Amino acid sequence: MRRETQNILLVLLGGALLKLALTGTYLRYVKASLQPWLVATGAIMVLLALVAIARDVRGKTAGHEGHEHTGRSPWLLLLPVLAVFLISPPALGADTVNRSDRTIAQQNSASGFAALPDEQVVSLTMTDFVTRTAWDDSGSLDHRTVKLTGFVVQKDGNTFVARLAISCCAADASPIKVRLLGGDLAALADDQWVEVTGRVVPGSATKDTAYTPSFTVSAVTPVATPEDTYES
Amino acid sequence: MSYPAGIMSKVTITGEIRGARPRRPAPKWRITSLEVLCAVLVLALVGQDWLVGVLDVPVLRTAATVFVAVCVQAMPFLVLGVLISGAIAAFVPASLLRRVLPRRTALAVPVAGMAGVALPGCECASVPVARRLMQQGVAPAVALSFLLAAPAVNPIVLVATAVAFKDAPMMVPARFVGSLLTAVVMGWLWTRFGKAEWIAERALRRLPDHDGTSRWAVFAETARHDLVQAGGFLVLGGLFAAVFNVVVPAAWLEALGGQVVFGVLVMALLAVVLALCSEADAFVAVSMSALPLLPRLVFLVVGPAVDVKLAALQAGAFGRGFAARFAPATFVVAIGCALVAGAVFL
Repeated sequence: MRRETQNILLVLLGGALLKLALTGTYLRYVKASLQPWLVATGAIMVLLALVAIARDVRGKTAGHEGHEHTGRSPWLLLLPVLAVFLISPPALGADTVNRSDRTIAQQNSASGFAALPDEQVVSLTMTDFVTRTAWDDSGSLDHRTVKLTGFVVQKDGNTFVARLAISCCAADASPIKVRLLGGDLAALADDQWVEVTGRVVPGSATKDTAYTPSFTVSAVTPVATPEDTYES
Repeated sequence: MSYPAGIMSKVTITGEIRGARPRRPAPKWRITSLEVLCAVLVLALVGQDWLVGVLDVPVLRTAATVFVAVCVQAMPFLVLGVLISGAIAAFVPASLLRRVLPRRTALAVPVAGMAGVALPGCECASVPVARRLMQQGVAPAVALSFLLAAPAVNPIVLVATAVAFKDAPMMVPARFVGSLLTAVVMGWLWTRFGKAEWIAERALRRLPDHDGTSRWAVFAETARHDLVQAGGFLVLGGLFAAVFNVVVPAAWLEALGGQVVFGVLVMALLAVVLALCSEADAFVAVSMSALPLLPRLVFLVVGPAVDVKLAALQAGAFGRGFAARFAPATFVVAIGCALVAGAVFL
């Protein structure tokens, strides 16, 4: 591959990273904390390419570098560029939840649980809610009305509200899900974002249910997709 | 295998045209990679709607997201790696490296392994650095043990492991010892059995002396060259990881239950095909709570040492012949070392 082509590919790839980082689209793929690194990476790629182009234009590079043998592998750099600019894949959703049976609920008994706020309706993250139902033996969630935000997953006649947790990038996403009971839930479409209000069925998150709690729904409200769809 | 069809047909077409009329004087306007790139970009823009329509299937959407995620996540680390590689080429004279490292390779191998603590990054950063060390005259065995140790024993990875396994703190020393042992054993094995001709000649070729070029120019040029070359292979690794991410059935893990022997083998294979970042794998391992600790330790030791992304990068940096020998050997050694570390600490 010619040097000029390599430099153009680098500018395109750096531009793709900058676009992701600056428009907020990067939250579909990686954690928020990576943003400054992505900006720096994109800028360095563009800079390295521009330095090389400037040196070529001024005729400072030796002739033998004009057709260096890097093989055809650099062509692959075009794939992420096309994926970002043309396809812009969405954040992971119901398909990933159905594909994996891993569960986020981990033994957390050592650190204990903070007391819930004394409000009529308690807003909890899905991670917090599922961890409490599985490992908090004090029954602090029983008879409390809870509000959860997530997307709908329909599987085998059951309706779940789910969320994905990532620790680095979307490749390591783990599903967190809650089974919904009651109401007219079958009409909800996969990947529709909702706020559900209701109460946990005490003792429903056990080893037999793979620590998936059941949730008696009193209200379901469709909401807009949040900017950062993942929990951590 | 993964070149868009447009590129391949374009290349063969131009090849045939040139082959058919060998005696003609070269035309003024030749089709080079530059024109091919423009054509591909125009075609992709024109066919965008069609492309988006074809990919609008749940499994393909998931795979595309994972592919972009792996690339985006790894690029900063790769850039860090090529910047270090460029800096070594431009500012660190080969004589300094010779003075710092013990003269006997057998002693230099563990030193290089411990030096891995100082490179806080994923495996993508260590491949260009190891290759540059070889070019600067460091013995291959020494550079390779640095390559294996760096992604697994650095402080960031160990802290992430401690956070993930807060109920099993012995996982941290077990992982540290298992990974360091893997790196040192592989270094010694290479000293004893390794052959220089397995490594592609281009990886060992000394850089030409840059008389008259400024050091900063050498730095920028080396970093750019490494980035273009390694970047392509990183994308290839990302493709593999995305495919395996959607085709490896979760039922694998369910079927394992508590079987340790089978569990060790399956977790080692999973570590290879999932190609997780070494800073994230501990969080995935802790969520596989159906398994005993030992198979999960194997997952954490094998992952940073050998996976599809790393093997693709190694094939790019050191040649396919090298990767075909080094990756399987590392796989076996890493399982062994993880079992030893597990027996001591868990």
